[in-house]
Amino acid sequence: MTVLASVSLATFLVTGLAATQFRSQPLASSNRLARDEALRQSVNQLEDQNRALKARVQALQNEVKAREDESARRSSAVQQVKALLDEQRAIAGLTALHGPGLTIQLRDGVDPNDPADRSLGWTIHYQDLQDIVSLLWASGAEAVTVNGQRVVPTTSFHYAGVNILINNANRLTGPYTVTALGDPSTLANGVGDPDQLAELKSRNRIYRLGLSWLRSTRLSVPAYDATFLVKNAQPLG
Amino acid sequence: MLNHSGDGTARFQRVIVVSLIGLALGFLVVVQLRSQAVVARTLAAQDDTSVALLINDLNRANNQLIQQAAALSQQETQLRQALTAGGADAQAISKELQTLRAVTGGVPVHGPGLQIRIMGPIMDFELQDLLNSLRTAGGEAFSLNGSRMIGSTPIVSQRNTLMIGGHAVSAPLVLLVIGDPEQLEPAADLSASSLQTRVQVDIQRKSDLTITEVINARPLIYAQLGR
Repeated sequence: MTVLASVSLATFLVTGLAATQFRSQPLASSNRLARDEALRQSVNQLEDQNRALKARVQALQNEVKAREDESARRSSAVQQVKALLDEQRAIAGLTALHGPGLTIQLRDGVDPNDPADRSLGWTIHYQDLQDIVSLLWASGAEAVTVNGQRVVPTTSFHYAGVNILINNANRLTGPYTVTALGDPSTLANGVGDPDQLAELKSRNRIYRLGLSWLRSTRLSVPAYDATFLVKNAQPLG
Repeated sequence: MLNHSGDGTARFQRVIVVSLIGLALGFLVVVQLRSQAVVARTLAAQDDTSVALLINDLNRANNQLIQQAAALSQQETQLRQALTAGGADAQAISKELQTLRAVTGGVPVHGPGLQIRIMGPIMDFELQDLLNSLRTAGGEAFSLNGSRMIGSTPIVSQRNTLMIGGHAVSAPLVLLVIGDPEQLEPAADLSASSLQTRVQVDIQRKSDLTITEVINARPLIYAQLGR
Protein backbone atom coordinates (compact mmCIF):
# COMPACT_ATOMS: atom_id res chain seq x y z
CA MET A 1 0.00 0.00 0.00
CA THR A 2 2.82 2.37 0.91
CA VAL A 3 4.50 1.76 -2.44
CA LEU A 4 1.24 2.33 -4.33
CA ALA A 5 0.66 5.56 -2.43
CA SER A 6 4.17 6.66 -3.37
CA VAL A 7 3.53 5.81 -7.03
CA SER A 8 0.28 7.79 -6.99
CA LEU A 9 1.91 10.77 -5.33
CA ALA A 10 4.83 10.72 -7.74
CA THR A 11 2.50 10.47 -10.76
CA PHE A 12 0.48 13.39 -9.42
CA LEU A 13 3.61 15.49 -9.01
CA VAL A 14 4.89 14.64 -12.49
CA THR A 15 1.57 15.56 -14.06
CA GLY A 16 1.39 18.76 -12.05
CA LEU A 17 4.88 19.80 -12.99
CA ALA A 18 4.32 18.98 -16.65
CA ALA A 19 1.17 21.08 -16.54
CA THR A 20 3.10 23.94 -14.91
CA GLN A 21 5.73 23.67 -17.60
CA PHE A 22 3.10 24.05 -20.34
CA ARG A 23 1.18 26.77 -18.52
CA SER A 24 4.35 28.83 -18.13
CA GLN A 25 4.16 29.56 -21.87
CA PRO A 26 2.40 32.94 -21.96
CA LEU A 27 -0.71 33.25 -24.00
CA ALA A 28 -0.28 35.91 -26.64
CA SER A 29 -2.51 37.58 -29.15
CA SER A 30 -1.88 36.86 -32.81
CA ASN A 31 -0.72 40.48 -33.38
CA ARG A 32 1.84 40.23 -30.67
CA LEU A 33 3.03 36.87 -31.95
CA ALA A 34 3.41 38.33 -35.44
CA ARG A 35 5.36 41.33 -34.10
CA ASP A 36 7.63 39.12 -31.99
CA GLU A 37 8.25 36.86 -34.95
CA ALA A 38 9.08 39.84 -37.19
CA LEU A 39 11.57 41.21 -34.64
CA ARG A 40 13.32 37.87 -34.29
CA GLN A 41 13.41 37.41 -38.05
CA SER A 42 15.10 40.83 -38.29
CA VAL A 43 17.76 39.70 -35.81
CA ASN A 44 18.37 36.49 -37.76
CA GLN A 45 18.65 38.40 -41.05
CA LEU A 46 20.98 41.02 -39.54
CA GLU A 47 23.16 38.30 -37.98
CA ASP A 48 23.34 36.52 -41.35
CA GLN A 49 24.34 39.83 -42.95
CA ASN A 50 26.88 40.39 -40.16
CA ARG A 51 28.52 37.00 -40.85
CA ALA A 52 28.56 37.63 -44.62
CA LEU A 53 30.11 41.09 -44.15
CA LYS A 54 32.82 39.70 -41.88
CA ALA A 55 33.62 37.02 -44.45
CA ARG A 56 33.80 39.77 -47.11
CA VAL A 57 36.12 41.88 -44.91
CA GLN A 58 38.39 38.89 -44.26
CA ALA A 59 38.55 38.02 -47.96
CA LEU A 60 39.47 41.62 -48.79
CA GLN A 61 42.11 41.60 -46.04
CA ASN A 62 43.66 38.53 -47.65
CA GLU A 63 43.65 40.22 -51.05
CA VAL A 64 45.27 43.37 -49.63
CA LYS A 65 47.89 41.25 -47.90
CA ALA A 66 48.65 39.40 -51.13
CA ARG A 67 49.16 42.72 -52.97
CA GLU A 68 51.38 43.97 -50.16
CA ASP A 69 53.48 40.79 -50.28
CA GLU A 70 53.86 41.25 -54.04
CA SER A 71 54.81 44.93 -53.55
CA ALA A 72 57.42 43.95 -50.95
CA ARG A 73 58.99 41.51 -53.41
CA ARG A 74 59.43 44.36 -55.89
CA SER A 75 60.83 47.06 -53.60
CA SER A 76 63.25 46.87 -50.69
CA ALA A 77 61.81 50.11 -49.27
CA VAL A 78 58.35 48.58 -49.24
CA GLN A 79 59.80 45.41 -47.74
CA GLN A 80 61.01 47.36 -44.69
CA VAL A 81 57.63 49.05 -44.18
CA LYS A 82 55.89 45.72 -44.71
CA ALA A 83 57.95 44.11 -41.92
CA LEU A 84 56.85 46.89 -39.53
CA LEU A 85 53.26 46.49 -40.73
CA ASP A 86 53.28 42.75 -40.02
CA GLU A 87 54.59 43.47 -36.52
CA GLN A 88 51.79 45.99 -35.91
CA ARG A 89 49.22 43.53 -37.23
CA ALA A 90 50.30 41.00 -34.63
CA ILE A 91 50.15 43.65 -31.87
CA ALA A 92 46.70 44.82 -33.01
CA GLY A 93 45.22 41.30 -33.03
CA LEU A 94 44.97 40.92 -36.81
CA THR A 95 47.10 37.76 -36.77
CA ALA A 96 46.25 34.32 -35.41
CA LEU A 97 48.61 33.24 -32.64
CA HIS A 98 49.42 30.12 -30.65
CA GLY A 99 51.38 29.30 -27.55
CA PRO A 100 51.10 28.35 -23.88
CA GLY A 101 48.49 29.98 -21.72
CA LEU A 102 45.41 29.67 -19.59
CA THR A 103 41.76 28.83 -20.28
CA ILE A 104 39.09 30.10 -17.91
CA GLN A 105 35.57 28.74 -17.95
CA LEU A 106 32.35 29.89 -16.33
CA ARG A 107 28.62 29.77 -16.95
CA ASP A 108 25.32 31.05 -15.65
CA GLY A 109 24.50 29.39 -12.34
CA VAL A 110 21.23 28.31 -10.84
CA ASP A 111 18.48 30.83 -10.09
CA PRO A 112 17.83 30.48 -6.34
CA ASN A 113 14.20 31.54 -6.91
CA ASP A 114 14.51 33.44 -3.65
CA PRO A 115 12.26 36.52 -3.45
CA ALA A 116 14.76 38.01 -1.00
CA ASP A 117 17.60 37.62 -3.53
CA ARG A 118 17.12 39.97 -6.45
CA SER A 119 20.86 40.37 -7.10
CA LEU A 120 20.94 38.31 -10.34
CA GLY A 121 24.23 37.06 -8.96
CA TRP A 122 23.60 33.69 -10.61
CA THR A 123 24.02 35.16 -14.11
CA ILE A 124 27.29 36.07 -15.77
CA HIS A 125 27.42 39.78 -16.58
CA TYR A 126 29.59 41.47 -19.19
CA GLN A 127 31.46 43.14 -16.34
CA ASP A 128 32.52 39.69 -15.08
CA LEU A 129 34.05 38.86 -18.45
CA GLN A 130 35.67 42.27 -18.73
CA ASP A 131 37.12 41.95 -15.20
CA ILE A 132 38.64 38.58 -16.12
CA VAL A 133 40.08 39.99 -19.35
CA SER A 134 41.48 43.04 -17.53
CA LEU A 135 43.10 40.81 -14.90
CA LEU A 136 44.65 38.63 -17.61
CA TRP A 137 46.17 41.70 -19.33
CA ALA A 138 47.50 42.83 -15.94
CA SER A 139 48.98 39.33 -15.46
CA GLY A 140 50.97 39.55 -18.69
CA ALA A 141 48.62 38.06 -21.27
CA GLU A 142 49.84 38.57 -24.84
CA ALA A 143 46.53 37.75 -26.54
CA VAL A 144 43.02 37.14 -25.21
CA THR A 145 39.79 35.76 -26.66
CA VAL A 146 36.30 35.44 -25.22
CA ASN A 147 34.28 32.60 -26.76
CA GLY A 148 36.66 32.75 -29.72
CA GLN A 149 36.31 36.52 -30.22
CA ARG A 150 39.68 38.23 -30.14
CA VAL A 151 39.96 41.13 -27.69
CA VAL A 152 41.57 43.98 -29.66
CA PRO A 153 42.40 47.63 -28.84
CA THR A 154 38.90 48.75 -29.90
CA THR A 155 36.95 45.97 -28.17
CA SER A 156 34.02 47.00 -26.01
CA PHE A 157 31.78 44.83 -23.87
CA HIS A 158 28.22 45.91 -23.32
CA TYR A 159 24.61 44.90 -22.90
CA ALA A 160 21.93 45.15 -25.55
CA GLY A 161 19.01 44.27 -23.29
CA VAL A 162 19.96 40.89 -21.85
CA ASN A 163 22.52 40.17 -24.59
CA ILE A 164 26.24 40.46 -23.92
CA LEU A 165 27.85 41.94 -27.03
CA ILE A 166 31.52 42.16 -27.96
CA ASN A 167 33.29 43.62 -30.99
CA ASN A 168 30.92 43.95 -33.96
CA ALA A 169 27.68 42.98 -32.18
CA ASN A 170 28.81 39.40 -31.54
CA ARG A 171 26.32 37.93 -29.11
CA LEU A 172 28.00 35.95 -26.34
CA THR A 173 26.12 33.14 -24.68
CA GLY A 174 27.26 30.74 -21.99
CA PRO A 175 29.19 28.72 -21.22
CA TYR A 176 31.93 31.34 -21.47
CA THR A 177 35.52 30.50 -22.29
CA VAL A 178 38.27 33.09 -21.93
CA THR A 179 41.59 32.09 -23.47
CA ALA A 180 44.85 33.91 -22.80
CA LEU A 181 48.30 33.32 -24.26
CA GLY A 182 51.23 33.97 -21.95
CA ASP A 183 53.13 32.36 -19.10
CA PRO A 184 50.62 29.83 -17.70
CA SER A 185 51.97 30.07 -14.14
CA THR A 186 51.86 33.87 -14.01
CA LEU A 187 48.37 33.95 -15.52
CA ALA A 188 47.13 31.25 -13.11
CA ASN A 189 48.67 33.05 -10.14
CA GLY A 190 46.90 36.24 -11.20
CA VAL A 191 43.50 34.57 -11.48
CA GLY A 192 44.09 32.51 -8.31
CA ASP A 193 44.99 35.55 -6.19
CA PRO A 194 42.25 35.71 -3.52
CA ASP A 195 42.25 39.52 -3.76
CA GLN A 196 41.37 39.40 -7.47
CA LEU A 197 37.87 38.73 -8.83
CA ALA A 198 36.75 38.46 -5.20
CA GLU A 199 33.11 39.27 -5.92
CA LEU A 200 32.91 36.80 -8.82
CA LYS A 201 34.56 34.07 -6.74
CA SER A 202 32.10 34.69 -3.93
CA ARG A 203 29.16 34.39 -6.35
CA ASN A 204 30.76 31.25 -7.78
CA ARG A 205 30.58 29.64 -4.34
CA ILE A 206 26.95 30.69 -3.80
CA TYR A 207 25.46 30.15 -7.27
CA ARG A 208 27.81 27.50 -8.74
CA LEU A 209 29.02 29.47 -11.76
CA GLY A 210 31.51 26.75 -12.66
CA LEU A 211 34.47 29.13 -12.50
CA SER A 212 37.61 27.14 -13.25
CA TRP A 213 40.91 27.61 -15.02
CA LEU A 214 43.37 25.31 -16.72
CA ARG A 215 46.97 25.82 -17.77
CA SER A 216 47.91 24.60 -21.24
CA THR A 217 51.15 24.21 -23.12
CA ARG A 218 49.51 24.97 -26.46
CA LEU A 219 46.48 27.11 -27.15
CA SER A 220 45.52 29.00 -30.27
CA VAL A 221 43.65 32.25 -30.76
CA PRO A 222 42.13 33.42 -34.05
CA ALA A 223 42.75 36.80 -35.64
CA TYR A 224 40.21 39.58 -35.13
CA ASP A 225 37.44 38.96 -37.66
CA ALA A 226 37.22 42.55 -38.90
CA THR A 227 39.57 45.51 -39.28
CA PHE A 228 39.99 49.06 -37.94
CA LEU A 229 38.73 52.31 -39.43
CA VAL A 230 40.37 55.46 -38.14
CA LYS A 231 38.65 58.59 -39.42
CA ASN A 232 39.38 61.19 -36.78
CA ALA A 233 42.60 60.34 -34.92
CA GLN A 234 45.45 61.56 -37.11
CA PRO A 235 49.10 60.88 -36.25
CA LEU A 236 50.89 64.01 -35.06
CA GLY A 237 53.62 65.45 -37.22
CA MET B 1 9.34 -20.36 -0.95
CA LEU B 2 7.63 -19.74 -4.30
CA ASN B 3 5.25 -17.20 -2.75
CA HIS B 4 8.14 -15.45 -1.10
CA SER B 5 9.91 -15.23 -4.48
CA GLY B 6 6.70 -13.90 -6.18
CA ASP B 7 6.34 -11.20 -3.51
CA GLY B 8 9.94 -10.23 -4.09
CA THR B 9 9.43 -9.91 -7.85
CA ALA B 10 6.32 -7.76 -7.40
CA ARG B 11 8.14 -5.53 -4.90
CA PHE B 12 11.06 -5.26 -7.30
CA GLN B 13 8.74 -4.24 -10.16
CA ARG B 14 7.10 -1.58 -7.99
CA VAL B 15 10.50 -0.22 -7.00
CA ILE B 16 11.46 -0.04 -10.69
CA VAL B 17 8.22 1.82 -11.53
CA VAL B 18 8.70 4.27 -8.66
CA SER B 19 12.33 4.77 -9.64
CA LEU B 20 11.37 5.50 -13.26
CA ILE B 21 8.77 8.03 -12.17
CA GLY B 22 11.32 9.54 -9.79
CA LEU B 23 13.77 9.85 -12.67
CA ALA B 24 11.12 11.52 -14.84
CA LEU B 25 10.27 13.85 -11.98
CA GLY B 26 13.92 14.69 -11.46
CA PHE B 27 14.34 15.31 -15.18
CA LEU B 28 11.43 17.70 -15.26
CA VAL B 29 12.71 19.58 -12.20
CA VAL B 30 16.12 19.92 -13.84
CA VAL B 31 14.55 21.09 -17.11
CA GLN B 32 12.48 23.59 -15.16
CA LEU B 33 15.53 24.98 -13.33
CA ARG B 34 17.78 24.97 -16.36
CA SER B 35 15.17 26.62 -18.56
CA GLN B 36 15.01 29.46 -16.05
CA ALA B 37 18.79 29.76 -16.14
CA VAL B 38 19.18 29.98 -19.90
CA VAL B 39 15.85 31.38 -20.95
CA ALA B 40 16.87 35.01 -20.75
CA ARG B 41 19.56 34.79 -23.43
CA THR B 42 17.91 32.59 -26.03
CA LEU B 43 16.54 34.84 -28.73
CA ALA B 44 13.08 33.29 -28.76
CA ALA B 45 12.53 34.04 -25.09
CA GLN B 46 13.84 37.60 -25.01
CA ASP B 47 11.67 40.59 -24.30
CA ASP B 48 11.01 42.98 -27.20
CA THR B 49 13.21 45.73 -25.72
CA SER B 50 16.24 43.42 -25.68
CA VAL B 51 15.56 42.35 -29.25
CA ALA B 52 15.11 45.96 -30.38
CA LEU B 53 18.40 47.00 -28.74
CA LEU B 54 20.12 44.03 -30.38
CA ILE B 55 18.75 45.11 -33.79
CA ASN B 56 20.09 48.60 -33.17
CA ASP B 57 23.58 47.27 -32.34
CA LEU B 58 23.56 44.88 -35.31
CA ASN B 59 22.61 47.71 -37.68
CA ARG B 60 25.42 49.87 -36.35
CA ALA B 61 27.96 47.01 -36.55
CA ASN B 62 26.90 46.08 -40.08
CA ASN B 63 27.24 49.70 -41.22
CA GLN B 64 30.76 49.76 -39.80
CA LEU B 65 31.60 46.48 -41.56
CA ILE B 66 30.29 47.91 -44.86
CA GLN B 67 32.60 50.92 -44.40
CA GLN B 68 35.52 48.63 -43.56
CA ALA B 69 34.89 46.56 -46.70
CA ALA B 70 34.75 49.74 -48.84
CA ALA B 71 38.05 51.01 -47.36
CA LEU B 72 39.77 47.65 -47.91
CA SER B 73 38.46 47.45 -51.45
CA GLN B 74 39.85 50.92 -52.19
CA GLN B 75 43.20 49.94 -50.63
CA GLU B 76 43.37 46.78 -52.72
CA THR B 77 42.62 48.72 -55.92
CA GLN B 78 45.35 51.25 -55.12
CA LEU B 79 47.93 48.50 -54.49
CA ARG B 80 46.88 46.56 -57.60
CA GLN B 81 47.09 49.62 -59.85
CA ALA B 82 50.63 50.37 -58.65
CA LEU B 83 51.62 46.75 -59.32
CA THR B 84 50.03 46.83 -62.79
CA ALA B 85 52.03 49.99 -63.55
CA GLY B 86 55.16 48.03 -62.66
CA GLY B 87 55.85 49.65 -59.27
CA ALA B 88 54.78 49.34 -55.64
CA ASP B 89 52.67 51.72 -53.60
CA ALA B 90 54.76 52.32 -50.48
CA GLN B 91 52.48 55.17 -49.45
CA ALA B 92 49.40 52.94 -49.15
CA ILE B 93 51.33 50.51 -46.96
CA SER B 94 52.74 53.34 -44.80
CA LYS B 95 49.24 54.71 -44.35
CA GLU B 96 48.00 51.34 -43.08
CA LEU B 97 50.99 51.15 -40.73
CA GLN B 98 50.12 54.57 -39.28
CA THR B 99 46.48 53.55 -38.86
CA LEU B 100 47.48 50.47 -36.87
CA ARG B 101 49.93 52.49 -34.77
CA ALA B 102 47.12 54.91 -33.91
CA VAL B 103 44.86 51.99 -32.96
CA THR B 104 47.49 50.31 -30.77
CA GLY B 105 48.47 53.59 -29.13
CA GLY B 106 51.94 53.55 -30.67
CA VAL B 107 51.92 57.15 -31.98
CA PRO B 108 50.72 60.53 -30.68
CA VAL B 109 47.44 61.53 -32.33
CA HIS B 110 45.16 64.52 -32.64
CA GLY B 111 41.65 65.15 -33.85
CA PRO B 112 38.17 66.21 -32.82
CA GLY B 113 36.54 64.72 -29.77
CA LEU B 114 35.47 65.22 -26.19
CA GLN B 115 37.13 66.28 -22.98
CA ILE B 116 35.35 64.70 -20.03
CA ARG B 117 36.21 65.97 -16.55
CA ILE B 118 35.11 63.80 -13.64
CA MET B 119 35.47 65.75 -10.42
CA GLY B 120 35.36 62.90 -7.92
CA PRO B 121 36.60 59.33 -7.50
CA ILE B 122 35.03 56.56 -9.57
CA MET B 123 35.37 52.79 -9.55
CA ASP B 124 36.98 50.64 -12.24
CA PHE B 125 33.63 49.36 -13.56
CA GLU B 126 32.32 52.90 -13.94
CA LEU B 127 35.31 53.87 -16.06
CA GLN B 128 35.02 50.61 -18.04
CA ASP B 129 31.35 51.35 -18.74
CA LEU B 130 32.19 54.87 -19.93
CA LEU B 131 34.96 53.56 -22.20
CA ASN B 132 32.71 50.77 -23.52
CA SER B 133 30.04 53.32 -24.47
CA LEU B 134 32.54 55.67 -26.10
CA ARG B 135 34.22 52.84 -28.05
CA THR B 136 30.85 51.61 -29.27
CA ALA B 137 30.12 55.20 -30.37
CA GLY B 138 33.32 55.26 -32.44
CA GLY B 139 35.94 56.54 -29.97
CA GLU B 140 39.33 56.04 -31.61
CA ALA B 141 41.95 57.18 -29.08
CA PHE B 142 41.78 57.67 -25.31
CA SER B 143 43.89 59.09 -22.51
CA LEU B 144 43.13 59.54 -18.84
CA ASN B 145 45.20 61.94 -16.73
CA GLY B 146 48.07 61.53 -19.14
CA SER B 147 47.87 57.74 -19.57
CA ARG B 148 47.04 56.41 -23.04
CA MET B 149 44.44 53.66 -22.95
CA ILE B 150 43.56 50.90 -25.40
CA GLY B 151 41.46 47.75 -25.01
CA SER B 152 44.32 45.85 -23.37
CA THR B 153 45.04 48.50 -20.76
CA PRO B 154 44.24 46.96 -17.35
CA ILE B 155 41.75 49.04 -15.37
CA VAL B 156 41.29 47.90 -11.77
CA SER B 157 40.27 49.36 -8.43
CA GLN B 158 42.57 48.47 -5.54
CA ARG B 159 41.34 49.56 -2.12
CA ASN B 160 39.32 52.42 -3.65
CA THR B 161 42.28 53.55 -5.79
CA LEU B 162 41.76 53.50 -9.54
CA MET B 163 44.72 51.90 -11.32
CA ILE B 164 45.28 52.40 -15.05
CA GLY B 165 47.95 50.16 -16.54
CA GLY B 166 49.43 49.69 -13.06
CA HIS B 167 49.49 53.43 -12.22
CA ALA B 168 47.26 55.05 -9.62
CA VAL B 169 45.11 57.93 -10.86
CA SER B 170 43.05 60.26 -8.70
CA ALA B 171 40.32 62.86 -9.17
CA PRO B 172 39.85 65.14 -10.93
CA LEU B 173 39.95 62.71 -13.84
CA VAL B 174 40.40 64.19 -17.31
CA LEU B 175 39.44 61.78 -20.06
CA LEU B 176 40.30 62.76 -23.62
CA VAL B 177 38.62 60.83 -26.41
CA ILE B 178 39.15 61.40 -30.14
CA GLY B 179 36.28 60.57 -32.48
CA ASP B 180 33.22 62.15 -34.06
CA PRO B 181 31.80 64.44 -31.32
CA GLU B 182 28.29 64.05 -32.78
CA GLN B 183 28.45 60.31 -32.07
CA LEU B 184 30.46 60.49 -28.85
CA GLU B 185 28.43 63.11 -27.00
CA PRO B 186 25.16 61.15 -26.59
CA ALA B 187 27.15 58.13 -25.34
CA ALA B 188 29.08 60.31 -22.88
CA ASP B 189 25.87 62.00 -21.69
CA LEU B 190 24.25 58.63 -21.01
CA SER B 191 27.21 57.34 -18.98
CA ALA B 192 27.58 60.68 -17.19
CA SER B 193 23.93 60.64 -16.12
CA SER B 194 24.58 57.66 -13.86
CA LEU B 195 27.87 59.08 -12.53
CA GLN B 196 26.34 62.51 -11.88
CA THR B 197 24.25 61.12 -9.04
CA ARG B 198 27.39 61.37 -6.90
CA VAL B 199 30.18 63.17 -8.82
CA GLN B 200 30.23 66.24 -11.01
CA VAL B 201 30.93 65.46 -14.67
CA ASP B 202 31.71 68.10 -17.27
CA ILE B 203 31.68 67.21 -20.99
CA GLN B 204 33.11 69.57 -23.58
CA ARG B 205 33.37 69.17 -27.33
CA LYS B 206 36.80 69.96 -28.75
CA SER B 207 37.57 70.61 -32.40
CA ASP B 208 41.17 69.41 -32.03
CA LEU B 209 42.43 67.38 -29.10
CA THR B 210 45.98 66.14 -28.81
CA ILE B 211 47.01 62.91 -27.13
CA THR B 212 50.78 62.81 -26.92
CA GLU B 213 51.19 59.76 -24.67
CA VAL B 214 52.03 56.48 -26.37
CA ILE B 215 51.98 52.83 -25.36
CA ASN B 216 55.12 50.80 -25.90
CA ALA B 217 53.94 47.46 -27.19
CA ARG B 218 55.16 44.49 -25.19
CA PRO B 219 57.11 42.02 -27.29
CA LEU B 220 55.47 38.66 -27.84
CA ILE B 221 57.47 36.16 -25.80
CA TYR B 222 55.11 33.21 -25.42
CA ALA B 223 52.77 33.76 -28.38
CA GLN B 224 53.91 32.58 -31.81
CA LEU B 225 52.51 33.55 -35.19
CA GLY B 226 49.99 31.18 -36.75
CA ARG B 227 47.32 28.88 -35.39
